[in-house]
Amino acid sequence: MTKGIKVDPRTKLVIVLCLSTLGIVMENVISLLFILVLSVVIVIVFKVELRKNFNKVKRLIYLIFLIAVIQSIFSPEGNIILSVGRITLLTTGGLEKGLQFILRMVIVIISAAIVTTSSSREIVQGLVQWGLPYDIAFMVALGIRFLPILTEEVKDALIAIQLRGIDIHNIPIKRRISLYSHLFTPILAGTIQKAQRLSITIEMRGFRAYERRTSYLVLKMSKWDYLFIFISITFTFLCFFYYFR
Amino acid sequence: MIYPIEIHNLYFRYSTNIDYILKGINLNVLEGEILAITGLSGSGKSTLLNIICGIIPHIRKGDIEGEVKLWGEDVKNLKIADISKKVGIVFQDPDTQLFSPTVEDEIAFGPENLMVDRKEIGRRIEKVLKIVGMEDYRYSNPNNLSGGQKQLIAIAAVLAMESEILLFDEITSQIDDEGKKRIRDIILNLKKDGKTIVLVEHNGDILEIADRVMELKNGELIHKGW
Amino acid sequence: MDFIELKDVYFEYEKDKPIIKNINLKINKDEITAIVGANGSGKTTLGKLIMGILKPAKGQVIICKKDICNMTLAEIGSKIGYLFQNPEKHFFCNTVEEELAFALRFNGYDVNYINGKVEELLTLFQLQDKRNDSPLFLSQGEKQRLAIATILINNPEYLILDEPTTGLDSYRKGILIDILKDLIKKGVGMTIISHDHFTIEELSHRRIGLKWGEIQYDERN
Repeated sequence: MTKGIKVDPRTKLVIVLCLSTLGIVMENVISLLFILVLSVVIVIVFKVELRKNFNKVKRLIYLIFLIAVIQSIFSPEGNIILSVGRITLLTTGGLEKGLQFILRMVIVIISAAIVTTSSSREIVQGLVQWGLPYDIAFMVALGIRFLPILTEEVKDALIAIQLRGIDIHNIPIKRRISLYSHLFTPILAGTIQKAQRLSITIEMRGFRAYERRTSYLVLKMSKWDYLFIFISITFTFLCFFYYFR
Repeated sequence: MIYPIEIHNLYFRYSTNIDYILKGINLNVLEGEILAITGLSGSGKSTLLNIICGIIPHIRKGDIEGEVKLWGEDVKNLKIADISKKVGIVFQDPDTQLFSPTVEDEIAFGPENLMVDRKEIGRRIEKVLKIVGMEDYRYSNPNNLSGGQKQLIAIAAVLAMESEILLFDEITSQIDDEGKKRIRDIILNLKKDGKTIVLVEHNGDILEIADRVMELKNGELIHKGW
Repeated sequence: MDFIELKDVYFEYEKDKPIIKNINLKINKDEITAIVGANGSGKTTLGKLIMGILKPAKGQVIICKKDICNMTLAEIGSKIGYLFQNPEKHFFCNTVEEELAFALRFNGYDVNYINGKVEELLTLFQLQDKRNDSPLFLSQGEKQRLAIATILINNPEYLILDEPTTGLDSYRKGILIDILKDLIKKGVGMTIISHDHFTIEELSHRRIGLKWGEIQYDERN
């Protein structure tokens, strides 16, 4: 919600798509920076709780950084910045590629956070009203629900282990890895079992009992929604046009 | 005479076990009856409920022999989708029965699947929230509720489907005294509406309102009292 | 001796919707404390705050004169055994036997000692013929019994039990209460979070009533 205007989840989806597309297609680092700033502004306006989402993504950041470094090492273009003997480690071209990658990923992640301001039910309804078959939309929503189930299982297991006197943070890495690999199967089994029970509940509540279903929640696009969508799409096309002319 | 639930000579064991957990169950449940099933934990009570609503054999597997009929039709020949129109089941663990972002969405889910129209869904949501006393939590995230509150929402969600047959698997286990009294009244009112109810219970106050109490012991149902 | 102390503890999940408001409490080791209250009163949250599973937004939790923010979960766990309301939260192994032996094996205890302890607990909780089953395939009541068994494996000096009698039939409820009484005789202290009258009457010396996250009453026998 922004300034008291309720924004339809479909509008948010369009905005995210536009931002992500621009982020991926553009190559110029300056342009990417511009899109990034734009994303951050939009995210603030939408009052996304960045801190909460940041924690979830913390681990991804290491991965992104790693990939960026690898990319830059394998892109030997431009002037050499760092080299060891005859081996070139870092070039301006590589640095640029790495930066591009990081900026792109950050844009995608930040703009995706905009969607989190709508509940999963609203997003599913939005997709359904756009014509997506309910079954698919719902199962996608459930799939999204699956990931937190898995992470919760892992969190619970780690707490349970610690409470039994095993201090996972203070044991040598080798033992920690062996511990995690030992736990892999039962935790996965636990997650699958939870997912199975959930699916039984859903079936017993009549899922797919009939060809179609009604919906209590009905989304209506306001004039603001149409305005935002228009602005987003126009802006995106203008960027393309300007960029590829 | 067609009973809502008929069981003839039911034998069942899980594929991983050698022993049969249900050995020759015979049962006719009358329309509008409250039937309570007691027994030690592990005796097969939940298994029996799962068989009545078709979860076994359609979703969970095992060796099943004998006949189980809902309104005269063999459960083997019915699809879960059709059974869910007539039978509602509330399980023991509330955490795996709630999956919606708000309580309102959760309760609306069942009636939406049954093609109930919006106005009626709205009416049912208000009605069941009032019945379980959780009106204040209509827009809350079920994940943030306490264990007992979650169980109340799970019950409300099934009540909103207005099924003819209701199966309750130890639904009061996490609920406090006030909640238990509420559930007692809910069950009595459901009976007045002509619903057929089978409940697995340990709690004496709830057992008291049952028309019939049977004990599942060593795989057999033994009559215990009226 | 004040085994557990809570000072001005305040906790909320969502802003301005507190679950625990300003709790000040001292729990002794040598009396059995019961925490009672309606659904949603904050009983489980209080138990988790004491164990450090949840961190208070304001205030302090002190165990044995040490602030728990300076203690690891493992340290707290070796002083106090905690029973989750949902027994499945205890399980992370493939078989019942492994579930019981895991912590001891990992910490390198003697094999004979481990086997002895495991047999003792399997017998005590009547789970002998389930020893090779997966904890996830047990019935609700069996899961409850296994969960309690797992927290006794380290011979804790204090227990916090969140709804220990859920899912137990009256026969097994009686057995569990006897087991707990035995432990009390051996000097194990307890806080029991429950809304089961029978359990509370049989075991507790002190009853603390919670309502909307605050202490409503605090009475002793």
